[in-house]
Amino acid sequence: MTEDSFTALMLLSTALFVVGLFGVLARRSILIQLLSLEVALAGPSLAFITAGARHADAGGQAMFVMILILAAAEVALGLALYLRLRRTADGTDSDSLSSLRH
Amino acid sequence: MEVFGLVLTYNHLLLTIPSIALAGFVMLGLDPFRLRDFEVRALALIGGVGPLIPMLVFANACFHGQCTGMVPIFTLKVGESTVALALQMDPLAALVGLTVCVIGAAVILFSVAYMQGTALPDLRRFFALMHLFLAGMLTMVLAGDSIVLFLGWELMGLCSYLLIAYNTTSAEAIRAGRKAFIMTRVADAFLLAALLLLFLEANSVRLDHLIPAGVAAQDGMRPIIAALLLGGAIGKSAQVPMHTWLPSAMAGPTPVSALLHSATMVAAGAVLLMRFSPIIQAEPVVMAIGAGLGALTAIFGAAAALFQQDIKRLLAYSSISQIGYMMLAIGVGAPEAAAAHFVVHAIFKSLLFLSAGHITHHSPRGTDIMAMRGASQRNPLAFLAFSAGAASLAGLPVITGGWWSKEAMLGAVWGVEPALWTVAVLAAVLTAAYATRAVLIAAMPDPGSHDGHADHDDSHDTGYTLVPLAFLGFGALLAGGLVEPIMHLLGAHVPHAPLFTILVASIAPLVGVAIAFALAYVPALANGLQRARDIARRTRRRPRRQDKPAGFWVRIALAFSRGLRIDTLYQIVFVWPFVKLVRWLNGYGRGVADPAGNLPAMAALRLQRAITAPFAPDWIDRTWTAFGGRILALWAALRRLQTGRARDHGLYMAAGTAGLLLLAWGLTWH
Amino acid sequence: MNATFALWAGSLALISALLVVTRASVVHALIWLLVTLLSLSASFFALGASFAGAAQILIYAGAILAVFVFVVMTVDASPKALEQERARLGRAWVPPALVAALVLVPLFAWRGAPGADTAAPMGAAVSATDLGMLLFGPWAAVVEIASGLLLAALMGARHLGRRGKPEGRG
Repeated sequence: MTEDSFTALMLLSTALFVVGLFGVLARRSILIQLLSLEVALAGPSLAFITAGARHADAGGQAMFVMILILAAAEVALGLALYLRLRRTADGTDSDSLSSLRH
Repeated sequence: MEVFGLVLTYNHLLLTIPSIALAGFVMLGLDPFRLRDFEVRALALIGGVGPLIPMLVFANACFHGQCTGMVPIFTLKVGESTVALALQMDPLAALVGLTVCVIGAAVILFSVAYMQGTALPDLRRFFALMHLFLAGMLTMVLAGDSIVLFLGWELMGLCSYLLIAYNTTSAEAIRAGRKAFIMTRVADAFLLAALLLLFLEANSVRLDHLIPAGVAAQDGMRPIIAALLLGGAIGKSAQVPMHTWLPSAMAGPTPVSALLHSATMVAAGAVLLMRFSPIIQAEPVVMAIGAGLGALTAIFGAAAALFQQDIKRLLAYSSISQIGYMMLAIGVGAPEAAAAHFVVHAIFKSLLFLSAGHITHHSPRGTDIMAMRGASQRNPLAFLAFSAGAASLAGLPVITGGWWSKEAMLGAVWGVEPALWTVAVLAAVLTAAYATRAVLIAAMPDPGSHDGHADHDDSHDTGYTLVPLAFLGFGALLAGGLVEPIMHLLGAHVPHAPLFTILVASIAPLVGVAIAFALAYVPALANGLQRARDIARRTRRRPRRQDKPAGFWVRIALAFSRGLRIDTLYQIVFVWPFVKLVRWLNGYGRGVADPAGNLPAMAALRLQRAITAPFAPDWIDRTWTAFGGRILALWAALRRLQTGRARDHGLYMAAGTAGLLLLAWGLTWH
Repeated sequence: MNATFALWAGSLALISALLVVTRASVVHALIWLLVTLLSLSASFFALGASFAGAAQILIYAGAILAVFVFVVMTVDASPKALEQERARLGRAWVPPALVAALVLVPLFAWRGAPGADTAAPMGAAVSATDLGMLLFGPWAAVVEIASGLLLAALMGARHLGRRGKPEGRG
């Protein structure tokens, strides 16, 4: 791995995160927002794996495993909340969920 | 054996003691476990009696000199500090832990029969919470480091709240639970502060590092730490001034009162002080304050208990008073005597609650003291148990356990401060008086008795009920033999008290018994009590001033039966202003919405108008003054940014992050 | 280890990520997310992180996306709903794009000091054995805490997903 390709991979992971961030901010559908969060999580995953590969440190992949666990937990709860919210509110519009009571 | 970097030894079996109760909580409390009625009861018994078995093994070893000591479970080095989770088994932990396990087993055994007839989900909730409480208390007792100690402490407080408010349909119970939780939370804040200060001193979390560091603390830290520990103990143990939650906590079911609010949880404050006694004993001022408050609580509690109209509130004030004794003993430097009294008090107080609960269980008058009448005919066994407990509480000489422990405490106090000794003796007189009063009322024939009621009613006496009552009853009488061994175990040098004090300690309860008889049978006193009772009942339903002037005796009785109205005082001083303030801040009732933004602007506007009013403002002046008003309008416009939408707030956060990143980037430019 | 291939796969991931956030239909977005995850997995394999690559496919694409698919099956996919979504797409994407670009600029432009160990050999494959030694050794406590997180998520999802009134409200 050259210095340039390492830098490029890091920039790529930043771009992935920002794309995910844009998705969360720009879309109103809750499901699409959840998918964008997954995209955003892919950014740091790539960064960790790249850094781990560069320094031959298993910590990079270990952090990726933790990110995996985090994503699993978040998806489980997020989707459960989405299904619950769908009974009383509109699931395609997160903007309607602006008060605490639903 | 090494697992995950931990060296497991047999000592780690200490973990099983709270874990059995915790497992009971998990299985009973988690929704997905479908359990039938007898399974629930079996689990309740296993979780309740289970911790007793390993506890017996470890305690037995400890009493024979082979204490396990500190058992670290998880150690982490963070920089210079050591964070370790550990349990420990030393004589104090063994003693208190064994008492908690035994009383817990007895109460849960009793409550299996007592809670008959409740709906299954509620039964599960009840036993799950009782198990969680047992786990929390055992964790706190066996704690070897401050994190585990505080965890157990908080669990106890939480379970206390949930169990007091067990009857979720009763607004009074919920209010009582909330009051208990909030007051003990204030005390928990003191304890947390003390533990954090100790951590700063010792750079470690383990108790065997914290306590010596606390004793060696400089720069005036030690009195602060000792005072904070005392504050924490006062709140949890319902001492004056933080005692008003305990009488209200009697709104919970009787087994809850028997386990939590008499024997174990409220004594946790005293146990805390016993655990940290090296620090406390190094600060004479704090000791003096503790002893003074203990004596004051002892006599106040006893006086209030004498005039209570509800048997559970009577016993609650009695607990307050008895723990006052323990605090007094700790304050004069005799924590071992306090430990002995803790054990004996746990036995007879839980016995009193259980037997009183049994006697009044199906009474239409609830737990009013007059519901105890006729007990000697209806449930003679429960009445006998109640009398045994009352005798021990009163401290009848020699034959009851209470006398031995009270005598040990009084002997210790005499050696240090005779003035406090006098107060304690007076409290002992009053203690015997109210204990005897309760027994006398229970021995009276039930006036509403026709053929059916006065008869022997043992349909509710099952093995579950009788075994604990019998066990505790014998314990209350025979526990006197335990007092000296306990004090030796904890390393106290037991001096022989002078004969004078032993004589006074023996006569005092008899004087109290005489007073109780006088209150019951001397017409002037008895009528005064009845009058006070009627006034209290009438003014509770329709709060109005009584028209006829009441005599001095009646007023005294009324005042003490209401606990000297200290609860009302706290409501007026603390609760009511706070609620008003919160309502005002939220814009209810002529309040201002968003006061932090609006009030300064409004004040500035008023000031400015007041200054310029005498001068005739022209259009330049008016534009300037309009500027102030525009600020308020701008504020209102900015408020509309808070849309509550996730996307919008996410946008603001992202913008803020972008700003920070740009700033950081810009700072790297040369 | 082939960093160039990893770069290509990563670029593919980036393009499909852009497509994920701009689709009107949830199912299409899901398919593009699958492409993103698979290309990332290829990238991981190319970087020598074979366990990560395999885990990405098995768990991320295999399990997490599968959960998404279950939920998406219950979504209203009629043409009317799609029209509504497209209409919403067209408006108000400028402020988020601006802010996202603002986040990106400093991260792209800011090159810190080069790494201290540029002399060291760059990059090596990390085997699953090394990862296992780390996870079961010094990181054992972290793994246990993470399993606590999963337990909490499990119980939370079960609680939130139940139907009808909860039991045991006295």
